[in-house]
Amino acid sequence: MNEHAGRGWPTWARPGVWVPPLVAFAVLAGAWQLYAVHNPTVIPKIQQVVSQLVDRPYFFFRNALTTIQEAVVGAAFGMGMAFLLAVLMSFVRIVERAVLPLAVILNVTPVIAVAPALVVAFGFGMTPKYVITAVVVFFPFLINALIGLRSIDPLSLDVLTTLHASRTEVLWRLRLPSSLPFLFAAARICMPLSVIGAVVAEFVAAGRTNGLGTLIVTAASLGDLKTIYAAVAVLAVTGIVFFLVVVILQAKLLTWHSSAATAANA
Amino acid sequence: MPGLAPVPHHEAGPSVGRSGAASAPAVLLRAVSKSFGPRQAAVPAVDDVTLSVETGKFVTVIGPSGCGKTTLLRIVAGLLDPDRGDVSVFGSPVGRAVEAKGIGFVPQSPALLPWRTVLENVQLPLQVNEKAHLADGRVRRDPVEVLESFGLGNVLGRRPAQLSGGMQQRVAIARAFVFDPPVLLMDEPFAAVDELTREVLRHELLSVWQGSRKTVLFVTHSIPEAIALSDAVVIMSPHPGRIEKVVPVDLPRPRGDLVETTVEFHELERQVRMEIRRSWKPEGPEG
Repeated sequence: MNEHAGRGWPTWARPGVWVPPLVAFAVLAGAWQLYAVHNPTVIPKIQQVVSQLVDRPYFFFRNALTTIQEAVVGAAFGMGMAFLLAVLMSFVRIVERAVLPLAVILNVTPVIAVAPALVVAFGFGMTPKYVITAVVVFFPFLINALIGLRSIDPLSLDVLTTLHASRTEVLWRLRLPSSLPFLFAAARICMPLSVIGAVVAEFVAAGRTNGLGTLIVTAASLGDLKTIYAAVAVLAVTGIVFFLVVVILQAKLLTWHSSAATAANA
Repeated sequence: MPGLAPVPHHEAGPSVGRSGAASAPAVLLRAVSKSFGPRQAAVPAVDDVTLSVETGKFVTVIGPSGCGKTTLLRIVAGLLDPDRGDVSVFGSPVGRAVEAKGIGFVPQSPALLPWRTVLENVQLPLQVNEKAHLADGRVRRDPVEVLESFGLGNVLGRRPAQLSGGMQQRVAIARAFVFDPPVLLMDEPFAAVDELTREVLRHELLSVWQGSRKTVLFVTHSIPEAIALSDAVVIMSPHPGRIEKVVPVDLPRPRGDLVETTVEFHELERQVRMEIRRSWKPEGPEG
Protein backbone atom coordinates (compact mmCIF):
# COMPACT_ATOMS: atom_id res chain seq x y z
CA MET A 1 0.00 0.00 0.00
CA ASN A 2 1.49 3.31 -0.92
CA GLU A 3 0.86 6.46 1.04
CA HIS A 4 -1.77 7.80 -1.33
CA ALA A 5 -3.94 4.69 -1.55
CA GLY A 6 -6.16 5.65 1.37
CA ARG A 7 -6.57 9.31 0.63
CA GLY A 8 -10.02 10.57 1.54
CA TRP A 9 -10.61 7.82 4.10
CA PRO A 10 -10.68 8.44 7.83
CA THR A 11 -7.35 7.35 9.32
CA TRP A 12 -8.66 4.17 10.92
CA ALA A 13 -10.38 3.03 7.71
CA ARG A 14 -7.31 3.30 5.48
CA PRO A 15 -6.28 -0.10 4.10
CA GLY A 16 -2.70 0.62 5.15
CA VAL A 17 -3.91 0.69 8.74
CA TRP A 18 -6.06 -2.43 8.96
CA VAL A 19 -4.59 -4.77 6.34
CA PRO A 20 -1.24 -5.55 8.06
CA PRO A 21 -2.76 -6.57 11.42
CA LEU A 22 -5.44 -8.54 9.58
CA VAL A 23 -2.79 -10.47 7.64
CA ALA A 24 -0.83 -11.17 10.82
CA PHE A 25 -4.01 -12.37 12.49
CA ALA A 26 -4.87 -14.63 9.53
CA VAL A 27 -1.39 -16.17 9.55
CA LEU A 28 -1.65 -16.90 13.26
CA ALA A 29 -5.14 -18.37 12.86
CA GLY A 30 -3.89 -20.59 10.03
CA ALA A 31 -1.00 -21.88 12.13
CA TRP A 32 -3.36 -22.47 15.04
CA GLN A 33 -5.78 -24.40 12.88
CA LEU A 34 -2.99 -26.51 11.36
CA TYR A 35 -1.71 -27.45 14.82
CA ALA A 36 -5.20 -28.08 16.20
CA VAL A 37 -6.05 -30.52 13.42
CA HIS A 38 -3.05 -32.68 14.33
CA ASN A 39 -3.15 -32.23 18.11
CA PRO A 40 -6.84 -32.11 19.11
CA THR A 41 -6.01 -32.77 22.78
CA VAL A 42 -3.80 -29.68 23.06
CA ILE A 43 -5.86 -26.93 21.46
CA PRO A 44 -9.35 -26.95 19.91
CA LYS A 45 -10.10 -26.09 16.31
CA ILE A 46 -11.22 -22.54 15.68
CA GLN A 47 -14.65 -23.55 14.47
CA GLN A 48 -15.24 -25.51 17.70
CA VAL A 49 -14.54 -22.40 19.73
CA VAL A 50 -16.72 -20.28 17.49
CA SER A 51 -19.58 -22.76 17.64
CA GLN A 52 -19.39 -22.66 21.44
CA LEU A 53 -19.97 -18.92 21.33
CA VAL A 54 -22.68 -19.19 18.67
CA ASP A 55 -24.53 -22.04 20.39
CA ARG A 56 -24.54 -20.58 23.89
CA PRO A 57 -24.26 -16.80 23.51
CA TYR A 58 -26.37 -16.03 26.57
CA PHE A 59 -24.35 -18.42 28.73
CA PHE A 60 -21.10 -16.66 27.88
CA PHE A 61 -22.71 -13.23 28.05
CA ARG A 62 -24.03 -13.90 31.56
CA ASN A 63 -20.62 -15.09 32.76
CA ALA A 64 -18.87 -12.19 31.06
CA LEU A 65 -21.24 -9.77 32.74
CA THR A 66 -20.26 -11.07 36.18
CA THR A 67 -16.56 -10.75 35.40
CA ILE A 68 -17.07 -7.28 33.89
CA GLN A 69 -18.96 -6.19 36.98
CA GLU A 70 -16.15 -7.43 39.24
CA ALA A 71 -13.55 -5.73 37.06
CA VAL A 72 -15.36 -2.41 36.71
CA VAL A 73 -16.46 -2.06 40.33
CA GLY A 74 -13.08 -3.22 41.63
CA ALA A 75 -11.18 -0.95 39.24
CA ALA A 76 -13.37 2.05 40.02
CA PHE A 77 -12.86 1.45 43.73
CA GLY A 78 -9.10 0.86 43.43
CA MET A 79 -8.49 3.79 41.11
CA GLY A 80 -10.69 6.06 43.19
CA MET A 81 -8.87 5.21 46.40
CA ALA A 82 -5.50 5.54 44.69
CA PHE A 83 -6.46 8.95 43.33
CA LEU A 84 -7.70 10.24 46.68
CA LEU A 85 -4.53 9.00 48.34
CA ALA A 86 -2.41 10.66 45.64
CA VAL A 87 -4.20 13.98 46.21
CA LEU A 88 -3.66 13.63 49.95
CA MET A 89 0.01 12.75 49.38
CA SER A 90 0.56 15.76 47.15
CA PHE A 91 -1.06 17.94 49.82
CA VAL A 92 0.69 16.57 52.88
CA ARG A 93 4.24 15.45 52.27
CA ILE A 94 4.40 13.38 55.43
CA VAL A 95 1.53 11.18 54.25
CA GLU A 96 3.57 10.31 51.18
CA ARG A 97 6.60 9.41 53.29
CA ALA A 98 4.44 7.28 55.54
CA VAL A 99 2.29 5.49 53.00
CA LEU A 100 4.38 5.14 49.86
CA PRO A 101 6.65 2.38 51.27
CA LEU A 102 3.53 0.44 52.27
CA ALA A 103 2.14 0.86 48.78
CA VAL A 104 5.40 -0.43 47.33
CA ILE A 105 5.24 -3.49 49.60
CA LEU A 106 1.66 -4.05 48.48
CA ASN A 107 2.80 -3.80 44.89
CA VAL A 108 5.65 -6.30 45.12
CA THR A 109 3.53 -8.85 46.97
CA PRO A 110 1.99 -11.21 44.38
CA VAL A 111 -1.73 -10.62 44.61
CA ILE A 112 -2.40 -14.25 43.78
CA ALA A 113 -0.59 -15.23 46.98
CA VAL A 114 -2.81 -12.98 49.05
CA ALA A 115 -6.02 -13.88 47.24
CA PRO A 116 -6.82 -17.07 49.20
CA ALA A 117 -6.50 -15.13 52.44
CA LEU A 118 -8.90 -12.49 51.13
CA VAL A 119 -11.37 -15.21 50.24
CA VAL A 120 -11.15 -16.57 53.79
CA ALA A 121 -11.72 -13.06 55.09
CA PHE A 122 -14.51 -11.95 52.74
CA GLY A 123 -16.16 -15.21 51.71
CA PHE A 124 -17.06 -16.48 48.27
CA GLY A 125 -19.32 -13.59 47.23
CA MET A 126 -18.44 -10.57 45.15
CA THR A 127 -16.50 -8.76 47.89
CA PRO A 128 -13.15 -10.60 47.57
CA LYS A 129 -13.34 -10.16 43.79
CA TYR A 130 -13.77 -6.41 44.17
CA VAL A 131 -10.96 -6.25 46.70
CA ILE A 132 -8.51 -8.27 44.61
CA THR A 133 -9.27 -6.26 41.45
CA ALA A 134 -8.90 -3.03 43.41
CA VAL A 135 -5.54 -4.16 44.79
CA VAL A 136 -4.30 -5.01 41.30
CA VAL A 137 -5.06 -1.57 39.85
CA PHE A 138 -4.25 0.42 42.98
CA PHE A 139 -0.50 0.83 42.67
CA PRO A 140 -0.09 1.70 38.98
CA PHE A 141 -2.84 4.27 39.33
CA LEU A 142 -1.40 5.71 42.53
CA ILE A 143 2.05 6.22 41.04
CA ASN A 144 0.72 7.76 37.83
CA ALA A 145 -1.64 10.06 39.70
CA LEU A 146 1.18 11.12 42.02
CA ILE A 147 3.46 11.92 39.10
CA GLY A 148 0.59 13.66 37.32
CA LEU A 149 -0.24 15.90 40.26
CA ARG A 150 3.45 16.84 40.47
CA SER A 151 3.93 17.42 36.78
CA ILE A 152 2.91 21.04 36.87
CA ASP A 153 4.64 23.82 34.99
CA PRO A 154 6.68 25.62 37.68
CA LEU A 155 6.14 29.01 36.04
CA SER A 156 2.37 28.47 36.00
CA LEU A 157 2.67 27.69 39.69
CA ASP A 158 4.63 30.96 40.11
CA VAL A 159 1.82 32.88 38.44
CA LEU A 160 -0.75 31.33 40.78
CA THR A 161 1.51 31.90 43.79
CA THR A 162 1.85 35.60 43.02
CA LEU A 163 -1.95 35.74 42.89
CA HIS A 164 -1.99 34.22 46.38
CA ALA A 165 -3.99 31.22 45.20
CA SER A 166 -4.84 28.83 48.01
CA ARG A 167 -3.60 25.26 47.96
CA THR A 168 -7.09 24.12 47.03
CA GLU A 169 -7.14 26.57 44.13
CA VAL A 170 -3.74 25.33 42.95
CA LEU A 171 -5.03 21.77 43.20
CA TRP A 172 -8.25 22.52 41.36
CA ARG A 173 -6.99 24.92 38.72
CA LEU A 174 -3.51 23.54 38.06
CA ARG A 175 -2.69 20.14 39.57
CA LEU A 176 -5.83 18.24 38.62
CA PRO A 177 -5.98 19.37 34.98
CA SER A 178 -2.21 18.80 34.64
CA SER A 179 -2.62 15.25 35.97
CA LEU A 180 -5.39 14.25 33.54
CA PRO A 181 -3.10 12.92 30.77
CA PHE A 182 -1.35 10.80 33.41
CA LEU A 183 -4.64 9.54 34.80
CA PHE A 184 -5.78 8.47 31.36
CA ALA A 185 -2.45 6.76 30.68
CA ALA A 186 -2.89 4.95 33.99
CA ALA A 187 -6.48 3.98 33.16
CA ARG A 188 -5.29 2.50 29.89
CA ILE A 189 -3.06 0.18 31.88
CA CYS A 190 -5.45 -0.38 34.77
CA MET A 191 -8.66 -1.23 32.93
CA PRO A 192 -7.26 -4.31 31.12
CA LEU A 193 -5.40 -5.13 34.35
CA SER A 194 -8.71 -5.16 36.19
CA VAL A 195 -9.89 -8.04 33.99
CA ILE A 196 -6.83 -10.00 35.11
CA GLY A 197 -7.64 -9.16 38.72
CA ALA A 198 -11.23 -10.34 38.37
CA VAL A 199 -10.19 -13.62 36.73
CA VAL A 200 -7.51 -14.31 39.34
CA ALA A 201 -10.10 -13.69 42.05
CA GLU A 202 -12.49 -16.14 40.40
CA PHE A 203 -9.75 -18.77 40.08
CA VAL A 204 -9.13 -18.60 43.81
CA ALA A 205 -12.72 -18.30 44.92
CA ALA A 206 -14.44 -20.36 42.27
CA GLY A 207 -17.66 -22.09 43.06
CA ARG A 208 -20.26 -19.74 44.45
CA THR A 209 -20.52 -17.10 41.76
CA ASN A 210 -20.22 -17.53 38.04
CA GLY A 211 -17.92 -15.51 35.79
CA LEU A 212 -15.51 -16.36 33.00
CA GLY A 213 -12.69 -17.26 35.40
CA THR A 214 -14.93 -19.63 37.29
CA LEU A 215 -16.09 -21.04 33.96
CA ILE A 216 -12.49 -21.71 32.93
CA VAL A 217 -11.67 -23.49 36.19
CA THR A 218 -14.78 -25.64 35.92
CA ALA A 219 -14.21 -26.43 32.24
CA ALA A 220 -10.56 -27.26 32.91
CA SER A 221 -11.54 -29.80 35.53
CA LEU A 222 -13.72 -31.45 32.86
CA GLY A 223 -11.07 -31.24 30.14
CA ASP A 224 -13.42 -29.07 28.09
CA LEU A 225 -10.93 -27.21 25.87
CA LYS A 226 -13.59 -25.64 23.63
CA THR A 227 -15.28 -23.85 26.52
CA ILE A 228 -11.96 -22.72 28.00
CA TYR A 229 -10.85 -21.07 24.78
CA ALA A 230 -14.26 -19.58 24.13
CA ALA A 231 -14.07 -17.96 27.57
CA VAL A 232 -10.51 -16.81 26.89
CA ALA A 233 -11.67 -15.22 23.63
CA VAL A 234 -14.46 -13.38 25.43
CA LEU A 235 -11.95 -12.16 28.05
CA ALA A 236 -9.62 -10.88 25.35
CA VAL A 237 -12.46 -8.99 23.70
CA THR A 238 -13.45 -7.56 27.09
CA GLY A 239 -9.91 -6.28 27.65
CA ILE A 240 -9.87 -4.67 24.22
CA VAL A 241 -13.24 -3.01 24.81
CA PHE A 242 -12.05 -1.67 28.17
CA PHE A 243 -8.95 -0.24 26.55
CA LEU A 244 -10.93 1.33 23.71
CA VAL A 245 -13.43 2.91 26.08
CA VAL A 246 -10.55 4.67 27.86
CA VAL A 247 -9.01 5.74 24.55
CA ILE A 248 -12.31 7.16 23.29
CA LEU A 249 -12.99 8.95 26.57
CA GLN A 250 -9.51 10.44 26.43
CA ALA A 251 -9.98 11.63 22.86
CA LYS A 252 -13.28 13.25 23.83
CA LEU A 253 -12.28 14.80 27.15
CA LEU A 254 -8.64 15.67 26.63
CA THR A 255 -8.76 17.60 23.38
CA TRP A 256 -6.18 20.13 24.61
CA HIS A 257 -3.49 17.55 25.14
CA SER A 258 -1.29 16.26 22.34
CA SER A 259 -1.67 12.69 23.62
CA ALA A 260 -5.38 12.83 22.76
CA ALA A 261 -4.62 13.02 19.04
CA THR A 262 -2.22 10.10 19.29
CA ALA A 263 -4.64 8.12 21.41
CA ALA A 264 -7.41 8.50 18.82
CA ASN A 265 -5.13 6.87 16.27
CA ALA A 266 -4.01 4.08 18.56
CA MET B 1 15.20 57.26 55.19
CA PRO B 2 12.68 57.45 57.98
CA GLY B 3 11.67 54.65 60.30
CA LEU B 4 14.08 52.05 59.06
CA ALA B 5 14.38 48.58 60.41
CA PRO B 6 17.86 47.88 61.79
CA VAL B 7 19.62 46.96 58.60
CA PRO B 8 23.38 47.21 58.15
CA HIS B 9 24.56 50.74 57.63
CA HIS B 10 24.18 51.62 54.07
CA GLU B 11 24.30 54.80 52.10
CA ALA B 12 21.02 55.76 50.52
CA GLY B 13 20.71 53.41 47.58
CA PRO B 14 19.91 54.33 44.05
CA SER B 15 16.47 55.80 43.83
CA VAL B 16 14.60 55.77 40.61
CA GLY B 17 12.26 58.55 39.68
CA ARG B 18 11.64 61.75 41.56
CA SER B 19 10.93 61.07 45.18
CA GLY B 20 8.90 64.21 45.76
CA ALA B 21 6.07 63.14 48.00
CA ALA B 22 6.47 61.53 51.38
CA SER B 23 4.56 58.45 50.24
CA ALA B 24 6.37 55.12 50.22
CA PRO B 25 7.92 54.04 46.94
CA ALA B 26 6.08 51.40 44.97
CA VAL B 27 8.93 48.94 45.40
CA LEU B 28 11.72 49.31 47.94
CA LEU B 29 14.58 46.88 48.44
CA ARG B 30 16.95 47.50 51.31
CA ALA B 31 20.29 45.71 51.54
CA VAL B 32 18.80 42.56 50.06
CA SER B 33 21.04 39.50 49.79
CA LYS B 34 20.23 35.99 48.67
CA SER B 35 22.44 32.94 48.29
CA PHE B 36 21.73 29.49 46.97
CA GLY B 37 23.14 26.14 47.93
CA PRO B 38 24.28 24.58 51.20
CA ARG B 39 25.48 26.96 53.87
CA GLN B 40 29.20 26.20 53.48
CA ALA B 41 29.27 26.42 49.68
CA ALA B 42 26.52 29.00 49.29
CA VAL B 43 26.70 30.90 46.02
CA PRO B 44 25.56 34.49 46.39
CA ALA B 45 23.03 35.39 43.69
CA VAL B 46 22.09 38.83 44.93
CA ASP B 47 24.41 40.76 47.21
CA ASP B 48 23.45 43.82 49.21
CA VAL B 49 21.04 45.33 46.69
CA THR B 50 19.26 48.53 47.57
CA LEU B 51 16.80 49.94 45.09
CA SER B 52 13.76 52.13 45.22
CA VAL B 53 11.19 52.35 42.43
CA GLU B 54 8.77 55.27 42.55
CA THR B 55 5.10 54.83 41.74
CA GLY B 56 4.26 54.92 38.05
CA LYS B 57 7.82 54.38 36.87
CA PHE B 58 8.99 51.80 34.37
CA VAL B 59 12.32 50.45 35.56
CA THR B 60 14.42 47.88 33.77
CA VAL B 61 17.06 45.68 35.33
CA ILE B 62 19.72 44.65 32.85
CA GLY B 63 22.76 42.47 33.16
CA PRO B 64 24.35 39.28 31.92
CA SER B 65 23.07 35.82 32.82
CA GLY B 66 23.86 34.99 36.41
CA CYS B 67 23.78 38.56 37.64
CA GLY B 68 20.83 37.75 39.89
CA LYS B 69 18.25 39.85 38.10
CA THR B 70 15.69 37.05 37.95
CA THR B 71 16.38 36.23 41.59
CA LEU B 72 15.82 39.88 42.43
CA LEU B 73 12.49 39.88 40.61
CA ARG B 74 11.40 36.67 42.29
CA ILE B 75 12.19 38.20 45.67
CA VAL B 76 10.00 41.20 44.87
CA ALA B 77 7.26 38.81 43.68
CA GLY B 78 7.36 37.00 47.02
CA LEU B 79 8.44 33.77 45.33
CA LEU B 80 11.76 33.81 47.19
CA ASP B 81 12.62 35.09 50.63
CA PRO B 82 15.80 37.12 50.92
CA ASP B 83 18.49 35.89 53.32
CA ARG B 84 19.09 39.41 54.54
CA GLY B 85 17.53 42.79 53.98
CA ASP B 86 13.89 43.58 53.39
CA VAL B 87 11.52 44.29 50.58
CA SER B 88 8.39 46.37 50.67
CA VAL B 89 5.67 47.22 48.20
CA PHE B 90 3.96 50.56 48.92
CA GLY B 91 5.43 50.41 52.40
CA SER B 92 3.99 46.98 53.23
CA PRO B 93 5.77 43.66 53.26
CA VAL B 94 5.67 41.75 49.98
CA GLY B 95 3.43 39.08 51.48
CA ARG B 96 0.73 41.67 52.16
CA ALA B 97 0.90 42.95 48.58
CA VAL B 98 0.62 39.41 47.21
CA GLU B 99 -2.37 38.67 49.44
CA ALA B 100 -4.12 41.73 48.07
CA LYS B 101 -3.23 40.73 44.51
CA GLY B 102 -1.12 43.85 44.21
CA ILE B 103 1.52 42.26 42.00
CA GLY B 104 1.21 41.06 38.45
CA PHE B 105 3.87 38.58 37.39
CA VAL B 106 4.86 37.80 33.81
CA PRO B 107 7.29 34.88 33.77
CA GLN B 108 10.01 34.04 31.25
CA SER B 109 7.79 31.68 29.27
CA PRO B 110 4.10 32.47 28.76
CA ALA B 111 3.11 29.72 31.25
CA LEU B 112 -0.43 29.60 29.91
CA LEU B 113 -2.68 26.75 30.96
CA PRO B 114 -2.99 24.55 27.86
CA TRP B 115 -6.51 23.31 28.69
CA ARG B 116 -7.88 26.84 28.88
CA THR B 117 -8.71 29.04 25.92
CA VAL B 118 -7.06 32.44 25.51
CA LEU B 119 -10.02 34.13 27.17
CA GLU B 120 -10.14 31.59 30.02
CA ASN B 121 -6.42 32.03 30.62
CA VAL B 122 -6.87 35.76 31.02
CA GLN B 123 -9.86 35.19 33.30
CA LEU B 124 -7.74 33.07 35.65
CA PRO B 125 -6.45 35.94 37.83
CA LEU B 126 -10.03 37.13 38.35
CA GLN B 127 -11.13 33.65 39.48
CA VAL B 128 -8.29 32.96 41.89
CA ASN B 129 -8.17 34.54 45.36
CA GLU B 130 -11.44 36.34 44.71
CA LYS B 131 -11.76 38.10 48.03
CA ALA B 132 -8.77 40.31 47.19
CA HIS B 133 -10.99 42.13 44.70
CA LEU B 134 -13.04 43.51 47.57
CA ALA B 135 -10.13 45.83 48.39
CA ASP B 136 -10.74 49.51 47.87
CA GLY B 137 -10.97 50.92 44.38
CA ARG B 138 -9.81 47.83 42.57
CA VAL B 139 -10.84 47.57 38.97
CA ARG B 140 -11.66 44.25 37.40
CA ARG B 141 -10.97 44.95 33.80
CA ASP B 142 -12.99 43.22 31.13
CA PRO B 143 -10.78 40.36 29.88
CA VAL B 144 -12.11 40.74 26.34
CA GLU B 145 -11.22 44.42 26.33
CA VAL B 146 -7.73 43.76 27.65
CA LEU B 147 -7.17 41.07 25.03
CA GLU B 148 -8.42 43.43 22.33
CA SER B 149 -5.94 46.08 23.44
CA PHE B 150 -3.20 43.54 22.72
CA GLY B 151 -4.68 42.73 19.33
CA LEU B 152 -5.99 39.34 20.45
CA GLY B 153 -9.70 40.02 19.97
CA ASN B 154 -10.04 37.43 17.23
CA VAL B 155 -8.39 34.48 19.03
CA LEU B 156 -10.40 34.47 22.26
CA GLY B 157 -11.58 30.90 21.83
CA ARG B 158 -8.25 29.42 20.72
CA ARG B 159 -6.06 27.22 22.84
CA PRO B 160 -2.48 28.41 23.56
CA ALA B 161 -1.03 25.60 21.42
CA GLN B 162 -2.78 27.11 18.41
CA LEU B 163 -1.00 30.46 18.84
CA SER B 164 2.45 31.63 17.82
CA GLY B 165 5.03 32.33 20.51
CA GLY B 166 4.54 36.07 20.20
CA MET B 167 0.78 35.79 20.61
CA GLN B 168 1.17 33.50 23.63
CA GLN B 169 3.40 36.13 25.20
CA ARG B 170 0.76 38.80 24.55
CA VAL B 171 -1.79 36.62 26.34
CA ALA B 172 0.58 36.25 29.29
CA ILE B 173 0.95 40.03 29.53
CA ALA B 174 -2.80 40.57 29.16
CA ARG B 175 -3.25 38.10 32.03
CA ALA B 176 -1.08 40.32 34.23
CA PHE B 177 -2.97 43.51 33.29
CA VAL B 178 -6.50 42.16 33.70
CA PHE B 179 -6.72 42.31 37.48
CA ASP B 180 -5.22 45.78 37.54
CA PRO B 181 -2.30 45.26 39.94
CA PRO B 182 -0.44 48.47 40.78
CA VAL B 183 2.91 46.74 40.32
CA LEU B 184 3.94 44.61 37.35
CA LEU B 185 6.98 42.36 37.40
CA MET B 186 8.19 41.05 34.08
CA ASP B 187 10.98 38.52 33.76
CA GLU B 188 12.40 38.69 30.23
CA PRO B 189 8.92 38.30 28.77
CA PHE B 190 10.15 38.67 25.20
CA ALA B 191 13.19 36.41 25.49
CA ALA B 192 11.63 33.53 23.56
CA VAL B 193 10.36 35.47 20.54
CA ASP B 194 12.27 36.55 17.46
CA GLU B 195 13.85 39.98 17.20
CA LEU B 196 11.23 41.50 14.87
CA THR B 197 8.27 40.26 16.91
CA ARG B 198 10.11 41.47 19.95
CA GLU B 199 10.12 45.07 18.71
CA VAL B 200 6.42 44.90 17.89
CA LEU B 201 5.63 43.53 21.35
CA ARG B 202 7.82 46.20 22.93
CA HIS B 203 5.79 48.98 21.36
CA GLU B 204 2.49 47.30 22.17
CA LEU B 205 3.53 47.04 25.78
CA LEU B 206 4.68 50.66 25.71
CA SER B 207 1.34 51.89 24.43
CA VAL B 208 -0.75 49.79 26.83
CA TRP B 209 1.50 50.88 29.70
CA GLN B 210 1.18 54.52 28.64
CA GLY B 211 -2.56 54.20 29.25
CA SER B 212 -2.25 52.64 32.70
CA ARG B 213 1.02 54.04 34.11
CA LYS B 214 1.59 51.09 36.39
CA THR B 215 4.83 50.65 38.23
CA VAL B 216 6.88 48.14 36.28
CA LEU B 217 10.03 46.28 37.16
CA PHE B 218 11.25 44.67 33.98
CA VAL B 219 14.15 42.26 33.55
CA THR B 220 15.91 41.92 30.22
CA HIS B 221 19.28 41.54 28.59
CA SER B 222 18.47 43.64 25.58
CA ILE B 223 19.88 47.16 25.79
CA PRO B 224 17.54 48.73 23.19
CA GLU B 225 14.56 47.12 24.87
CA ALA B 226 15.62 48.46 28.26
CA ILE B 227 16.06 52.02 26.98
CA ALA B 228 12.94 52.12 24.80
CA LEU B 229 10.71 51.03 27.66
CA SER B 230 12.14 52.54 30.80
CA ASP B 231 12.46 55.62 32.91
CA ALA B 232 15.64 54.16 34.34
CA VAL B 233 17.96 51.29 33.54
CA VAL B 234 19.47 49.44 36.47
CA ILE B 235 22.73 47.78 35.48
CA MET B 236 23.69 44.69 37.44
CA SER B 237 26.95 42.79 37.47
CA PRO B 238 27.37 39.10 38.21
CA HIS B 239 29.15 37.05 40.89
CA PRO B 240 27.71 38.25 43.13
CA GLY B 241 24.71 40.11 41.70
CA ARG B 242 25.10 43.78 42.51
CA ILE B 243 23.77 47.02 41.20
CA GLU B 244 26.56 48.77 39.28
CA LYS B 245 24.78 51.87 38.17
CA VAL B 246 21.37 53.35 37.52
CA VAL B 247 21.12 55.20 34.21
CA PRO B 248 18.14 57.55 34.03
CA VAL B 249 16.32 57.57 30.68
CA ASP B 250 14.86 61.01 30.04
CA LEU B 251 13.37 60.31 26.64
CA PRO B 252 10.00 62.09 26.42
CA ARG B 253 6.77 60.15 26.72
CA PRO B 254 4.67 58.96 25.06
CA ARG B 255 7.37 57.34 23.01
CA GLY B 256 6.51 56.67 19.41
CA ASP B 257 7.33 53.70 17.24
CA LEU B 258 10.50 55.41 16.10
CA VAL B 259 12.03 56.14 19.49
CA GLU B 260 14.85 53.71 18.69
CA THR B 261 15.96 55.89 15.79
CA THR B 262 16.56 59.12 17.70
CA VAL B 263 19.98 60.51 18.50
CA GLU B 264 19.19 60.65 22.22
CA PHE B 265 18.32 56.98 22.15
CA HIS B 266 21.63 56.07 20.60
CA GLU B 267 23.56 58.16 23.04
CA LEU B 268 21.83 56.37 25.93
CA GLU B 269 22.45 53.03 24.28
CA ARG B 270 26.14 53.85 24.02
CA GLN B 271 26.25 54.97 27.63
CA VAL B 272 24.54 51.83 28.93
CA ARG B 273 26.69 49.60 26.77
CA MET B 274 29.89 51.19 28.07
CA GLU B 275 28.70 50.84 31.65
CA ILE B 276 27.90 47.18 31.14
CA ARG B 277 31.27 46.50 29.53
CA ARG B 278 33.08 48.26 32.31
CA SER B 279 31.21 46.29 34.99
CA TRP B 280 32.05 42.95 33.33
CA LYS B 281 35.81 43.47 33.55
CA PRO B 282 37.44 40.70 35.60
CA GLU B 283 38.99 43.22 38.00
CA GLY B 284 35.49 44.53 38.63
CA PRO B 285 33.45 43.83 41.74
CA GLU B 286 35.05 41.50 44.23
CA GLY B 287 32.95 39.55 46.77
